[in-house]
Amino acid sequence: MTTQTLDPTALPNLAEQRPQRPWRKRTPRFKLAVVLAVIIPAVVTWFLWQTSTIPTPVLLVAIYLPMQLIASTLASIVTRGRRGIADSIVIVSAIGATVFSLVILLSLIGALIVRGWKALSPSFLLQNNIYISPSTPLEYGGIGHAVLGTALIVFLASLVAVPIGIATAIYITEVRGRAVPYVRFFVQSMSGVPSVVAGLFILTTLIVTGALTQSALAGGLAYAILMLPTVARTAEEVLRLVPDELRTGALALGSTRARTVFRVVLPAARTGIVTAIILGIARIIGETAPLLLAAGNSDQTILNPTGSPVASLPTYIFNNVALPYPDAVTRAWGAALALMIFVAILFTLARVLSRGRLGR
Amino acid sequence: MSTAEFESVDVLESEITTPAAAATTELEARNVSVWFGQRKVLEGVNMSFPKNSVTALIGPSGCGKSTFIRTLNRLHELLPGAALAGEILYEGRDIYSRDVDPVHIRLAIGMVFQKPNPFPSMTIRGNVLSGLKLSGMKRSNHDDIVEETLTAAGLWTEVKDRLDRAGGELSGGQQQRLVIARALAVQPHVLLMDEPCSALDPASTLKIEETIRQLSKEVTIIIVTHNMQQAVRVADNTAFFLAAENEPGRVIEQGATTEIFGNPQDERTLDYVNGRFG
Repeated sequence: MTTQTLDPTALPNLAEQRPQRPWRKRTPRFKLAVVLAVIIPAVVTWFLWQTSTIPTPVLLVAIYLPMQLIASTLASIVTRGRRGIADSIVIVSAIGATVFSLVILLSLIGALIVRGWKALSPSFLLQNNIYISPSTPLEYGGIGHAVLGTALIVFLASLVAVPIGIATAIYITEVRGRAVPYVRFFVQSMSGVPSVVAGLFILTTLIVTGALTQSALAGGLAYAILMLPTVARTAEEVLRLVPDELRTGALALGSTRARTVFRVVLPAARTGIVTAIILGIARIIGETAPLLLAAGNSDQTILNPTGSPVASLPTYIFNNVALPYPDAVTRAWGAALALMIFVAILFTLARVLSRGRLGR
Repeated sequence: MSTAEFESVDVLESEITTPAAAATTELEARNVSVWFGQRKVLEGVNMSFPKNSVTALIGPSGCGKSTFIRTLNRLHELLPGAALAGEILYEGRDIYSRDVDPVHIRLAIGMVFQKPNPFPSMTIRGNVLSGLKLSGMKRSNHDDIVEETLTAAGLWTEVKDRLDRAGGELSGGQQQRLVIARALAVQPHVLLMDEPCSALDPASTLKIEETIRQLSKEVTIIIVTHNMQQAVRVADNTAFFLAAENEPGRVIEQGATTEIFGNPQDERTLDYVNGRFG
């Protein structure tokens, strides 16, 4: 090693310096190795897929995956030495698992679109089902009444479950009362309640006793039972992530515990709280059994939360999918597709709304 | 800082060994500029670090000292928007050249951070040996390594009877010495320290400074500090960084610690080492 002294003439010119990211530059050897490691297994698999009779899943799992692992390992040995082996195996496995779950998800969405697309039209989304029989052609009737019914039921369920769920989370993480272990135990047990039991509970305690009839309110209460533990547990987790320094910081300014919770802790956890509500809605929105028991069904547009049975998307799907008429089945798929699109819109909206100025 | 404190510099001056200026250069920065996105935070840093020397980087907050040392072991590139120009030569080779594996660089150039970060799931012993496992380095006689490095970090006598307890149970100062021991177990050639004593009490600080002096016989040390007496006590060389308002940080003055503190050439350095601003 030679001693180095600063030679000003050898220095790069300061005025000509531009921001660079040298760590993103790759050697040609590295690029070649990566390209070969991707192409060779894919080509060999494609060739076998064309010529042999090996079933596609077996081909992918038993031939492509091991071959890709070996190719990536070899590529990483060539580029980084033995140190890179573990990295390449982890990366290939992670990408493989991601692709696998994406394939399942996309084929599900694909099936919904292929089978439900025919039914979707503005009138299908807006009209109700009065005067429509299962054999009526697709151009007539729609799910407007079920969309409104689902929205009404979910709204009523959120009205009950969100405040109680967040209050439970606040009790567990902020009040830290004596009953915390028991409360957590009950909340956890509640998250295991089968949805049909929630429906039966409302049926036996409120409907059979005559306090309520089958209605949006009864359905919403059944939904709330299912939604509550999800909201409470998720909210608990996000409140737990709020650093204690914020709480002590607020208390050291003379804040009361209540103001600390409502002005500092909850706002700090706002995005997480929104996520808790989203997860709660996602948990319930497709549940069918509680609504069959507690909300009933209807062909009409019902906006009165009490008094009469109300339609919803899950019960609409349930009632149509098993009918021996092709158009009815298509209507069911269309309703399922619509349900999925509404949920996607709802989640996107919630994400955008929670990304406020002061969000993290 | 008062003049009384400044006088202590003169008292210490005689005790400080001459900077190893003529020694081999281990690490060298050539015209290093750093950006985050389009914002330039550091401009034209030229600095060379002789083998087995201690270099202190001083200057007010936000002048790019921490950013600079993170470029020295390729941790900078992990931050979003990070960009860089210039060269950093380790043993004469640019560490940012395409065929250099950052893992090798970080193994040779270790780092201790401002906040002690012992791994919570590991025991004291496990923390010390964690670098060997994480880097896949093969070294036998683990017991000796644990004792050696903890002794070097000045922690051995305090923890030798509870090596199987969690690292998180230790006090802040002990945790910081534990992570220094952890950094030493992989035998780095250079150790970067980013304000290692900022959260510690004077006794722990003193112990870590003793550790730094001991280590400098074998390791090249670069330490960021806001404590000017600390720079005087431990560093052979000192560099003063400063960022004017809305401008990137620059090195205002660098040289032997005795010169920077005893006879600074730039007025801003004089003001800063006397505690008149920053």
